[in-house]
Amino acid sequence: MRGAKSAKWVAGAIVVALAATACGSGSDEGKSGGEGGSGGAFSMNIAEPKRLVPQAATESGGSQVLSGLFTPLVEFDAQNQPVLAAAESIESTDNKVWTIKLKDATWHDGTPVTAKDYVGAWNWGAYGPNAADGNYFFGTIQGYDEMNPVDPDGDEGPKKAPEPSAKELSGLKAVDDKTIEVTLKAPFAGYKSVLGYTVFYPMPQSALTDIKAYEEAPIGQGPFQMDGKWEHDKAVKVKAYADYKLGEKPKVDAVEFRIYQDQNTAYNDLLANNLDVVDQIPTEVMGTAPSELGDRFKSSEASTFQFVAFPTYDKKFSDPRVRKAISMAIDRDEIIKVVFQNSQSSADAFVSPVVGGYREGACGDACKFNPTEAKKLLAEAGGIEGNKINIGHNADGGHEQWINATCDQLKKNLGIDCVGQAVPKFAELLKQVEEKKFSGMFRLGWIMDYPSMENYLGPLFSTDGSSNYYGYSNKDFDRLVQEGREAKTEAEAITKWQAAEDILVKDMPVIPLRFGKNVFGHSTNVKNVEMNLFNQVELTKVEKA
Amino acid sequence: MGRYVLRRLLQMVPVIIGTTFLVFALVTEMGGDPVQNLYGERPVPESIRVALTAQYHLDDPLPVRYGYYVSGLLQGDFGTSLSGSRPISEMIADAWPETLKVAGIAFVFEMVVGVAAGVLAGMRRGKFLDNLVLLSTLTVIAVPIFVLGQTAQIFLGVKAGIFPVSGTNEGFMSYLLPGLVLGSVSLAYIARLARASVAENLRMDYVRTAKAKGLSPTRITGVHVLRNSLIPVVTFLGADLGTLMGGAIVTERIFNIPGVGYNLFKAIQIEDGPALVGFVTLLVLVYVVMALVVDLLYAVLDPRIRYA
Amino acid sequence: MPDVTNTAVTPEAAAATPAAPQLSKKPEKSRSLLQDAVRDLVRRPLFLIASGIIFVLLLMAAFPTFFASADPQLCELSRSLQKPSADAWFGYDARGCDVYARTIHGARTSITVGVLATVGSALIALLLGLVAGFYGRWVDALISRGIDIVMGIPFLVGAIVILNTFRDDDGFRTGGIWGVLTALTVLGWMSMARIMRSTVIQTKQADYVTAARSLGASTGRLMFRHVLPNALTPLIVLATISLGVIISVEATLSFLGVGIQEPTISWGVMINQSLGRIREALHPLLFPAGFVSVTVLAFIMLGDAVRDALDPKLR
Repeated sequence: MRGAKSAKWVAGAIVVALAATACGSGSDEGKSGGEGGSGGAFSMNIAEPKRLVPQAATESGGSQVLSGLFTPLVEFDAQNQPVLAAAESIESTDNKVWTIKLKDATWHDGTPVTAKDYVGAWNWGAYGPNAADGNYFFGTIQGYDEMNPVDPDGDEGPKKAPEPSAKELSGLKAVDDKTIEVTLKAPFAGYKSVLGYTVFYPMPQSALTDIKAYEEAPIGQGPFQMDGKWEHDKAVKVKAYADYKLGEKPKVDAVEFRIYQDQNTAYNDLLANNLDVVDQIPTEVMGTAPSELGDRFKSSEASTFQFVAFPTYDKKFSDPRVRKAISMAIDRDEIIKVVFQNSQSSADAFVSPVVGGYREGACGDACKFNPTEAKKLLAEAGGIEGNKINIGHNADGGHEQWINATCDQLKKNLGIDCVGQAVPKFAELLKQVEEKKFSGMFRLGWIMDYPSMENYLGPLFSTDGSSNYYGYSNKDFDRLVQEGREAKTEAEAITKWQAAEDILVKDMPVIPLRFGKNVFGHSTNVKNVEMNLFNQVELTKVEKA
Repeated sequence: MGRYVLRRLLQMVPVIIGTTFLVFALVTEMGGDPVQNLYGERPVPESIRVALTAQYHLDDPLPVRYGYYVSGLLQGDFGTSLSGSRPISEMIADAWPETLKVAGIAFVFEMVVGVAAGVLAGMRRGKFLDNLVLLSTLTVIAVPIFVLGQTAQIFLGVKAGIFPVSGTNEGFMSYLLPGLVLGSVSLAYIARLARASVAENLRMDYVRTAKAKGLSPTRITGVHVLRNSLIPVVTFLGADLGTLMGGAIVTERIFNIPGVGYNLFKAIQIEDGPALVGFVTLLVLVYVVMALVVDLLYAVLDPRIRYA
Repeated sequence: MPDVTNTAVTPEAAAATPAAPQLSKKPEKSRSLLQDAVRDLVRRPLFLIASGIIFVLLLMAAFPTFFASADPQLCELSRSLQKPSADAWFGYDARGCDVYARTIHGARTSITVGVLATVGSALIALLLGLVAGFYGRWVDALISRGIDIVMGIPFLVGAIVILNTFRDDDGFRTGGIWGVLTALTVLGWMSMARIMRSTVIQTKQADYVTAARSLGASTGRLMFRHVLPNALTPLIVLATISLGVIISVEATLSFLGVGIQEPTISWGVMINQSLGRIREALHPLLFPAGFVSVTVLAFIMLGDAVRDALDPKLR
């Protein structure tokens, strides 16, 4: 099952996987694509995009296609540092007011790209009633709250949420044709990195009048332009844009994104050389794929972070020693070797190794397998209430195997009973956690939005973190994360964030389990296939073999 | 006869109202959170939840939501899907033909092979051929379709290269293998039904009479026995054609056919009421029409059956 | 049982049709037929083999620990996918569980669900099909259109809603067999009901039914004594096959997280769990799938034998 890529939560979420589904390519007399060879085109698999509007495409299929159609303001180098792409400069004196100057560029229809195109697109995304998936990315900009009023008496209350009092972000201005000024609610030194994300692409102003028509064939300013319309559930075809000036030109003439319902099918097509790139080799075939693909079997670092959370409302787990004991009783390496066939690596910290500030072994002994110590620790803490635990997971995410294996280890190493409890969908798991019904641990995963320690610590562990579903709250931690955000330099910020991470090691609100990898493969028709931190194939680098 | 058909067609109206309402109610009963489903594991901003809830009337009581749906339907509007807000009529127009192609192949395959195998087995009860049919149908029952589909894809598609691996790019050949895999599921039912029916009819008096009259064995089985044995088989085939047109989630998934099964499954996963009801409405139409055709066929197969 | 039925029916039948020698013979004939059937059955090798297999399966379901001493819940990744050996006759699955122990312990769930759901849905189908086919007109229209509606509901939607109602005190789906059993029964009878209806329509036109009717046989008698026994064959055929299909549908429900769940074990769940790794090891799939086949085969043979023995035309 594929992960929801770009966006935050690693999916397994069927929504994405299935929403993704669908079929092979368009039936136009099978040109290029599959056979490779002629014309310098290649094909790759995607899941059916939910939307093809930058501000609303946070899932894998959509953001992969859009990464070809658009060029972001910043891209990332090998060290995951931001480098300017569509932006001429991005500067701030106080980390609060940011000035973005644009390079000269044209839309695929030939008209020039202006600052207004950015402002219009971002305002569209930030406006609550448009229900854009990327809406929350604009939450750090001044004026966001006026566009997204909160229901005064909560979900259940009788009152409806008020109408938004503004249609535009007060903190966003087009100073002139080439200059954008962004005013944040609070200073944030790492804001430049944030701007690399899909939702900060521009849209031509004409798009906003009829967004439905626009997304059937989006016009961008990137290296590729649409070749025909989006063939729903089948394919999206793009061709190289001749007047592209914002960066390296693509080495191929065209790319066909074929929409697949199932990664296994895509993999079979790859084996038959009918498909050129598969961006995620399914776990099921991981045992045989290296021998079947040979040197076309590739892997690279990814930002995924998989963990198991403790519900804070459950007294059972309130003693940190209990949480540490459980963590130490899990043999991560064995699960990774047997269940994941080494396609992931053991987590030894609370942030992924891809971000600056990651420290190897930051989690210390608590994340190291040590059954004797674990048993001792649990005994000291007086055991676990009922001598039984559950680990919840969403059945649509393909987590059953490793959850069961984890339970087997806990049974053996701690002498407690453990059951993996499946809930059909993630939404349901969430609902039960929110209603404080779930009396057990539950699995979660995270994919970063921008390469920064803050993107792990903030949303996952701060008191008001958007994805802190388990209700962890520590004032010192919150303060350190905020101080890091407002720090003048990156080094200073990282020091603060590392101190915050140390608090997590002490508290163990979650058990870090695994860091993900991009495990992908390609056909004999192409070479130089690489994937970036956002789990996207680098389209402009691919060459015909 | 004409009046009978007319009456049956009129019965469609309450059936469709009943089904759409039932499905609407069931989707509501699923009790999930469609908005969160759309977002996977990401948090849903409050303002977006409000916007989507209002847009799709998720908060309104069931009769009101159903009212919105029916009033749209009466204007020829199937509504829009929760996921990606595509018009449902467009989704149906894209998905239906794909499913029809696979279903057609599956249907022909299960009908021809199933009936032939069943008739042969019924005529040779207890003999080698009968046991062979029993064993081969058993294999198909015991092996889940996902195993069958994947095995066929790997061996016939990837390794042997006889069939396209997946997709719909290569015309008839693209649909052939999925059709055969899909058809094999009901093959066992049809073969066993035909076998039992033929075996039973062979013992009937009229067969003895025909034999006594000196009719050739081919004519006896080919005309008399076959015709009299077909009613249960035709009934099953009729119901099955409806099921086939409802799309096959597993087969469509393995062979990457963007058909009805895929759309239905997606709609179930995100609890996409409008899309689900749209597809189901169409399915029920098919079921009702198929039931009528089958009922009319009874009268053809057995002249004693009359409709007034 | 046969005696009771006969004493209850014979006088009534005799009274209803005093002037019909042919018909008054019928119950008598069927009495000896039923007795014959039992006598006949025990002499059939097919029946004996089938019931032998089913007996063993039922024993397994009732006393799993007698057949398998290993703990089906004791799983260790270090034994993942080990081949069959003297220690573990069927080897270990991907999770390192003893496949033999799990297969034996899975018998209870799979056989209970399979048999009860089949019997349940066959009974619903029998009743509705008989009534619809026999009475025709508006009764038929009502039942038939009802079947259309239930068929139109996607199985998964119906199943999820039904399974949602089976929850424990914490509001969790129980993951036990009762929910699955209910869902499979409630959503599984429609094809069988249609077949039943069709054969009833065909049978009620037969000469002997017309004869009995003209001789004044009561409706109930016509339905249950004349039409039903002669219209059962296709239903029995479908029902015996459904057993196998139900076992794999049960697996699909587990796969979606609404069906039977750990720690309950079933063959369907085992097949499901072993699928992902079939490229590396087949044995975790083959053993439960083999048991499904043998079970289905036994029930098909049993169904055939019983049907033949009961069929008046065979003698």
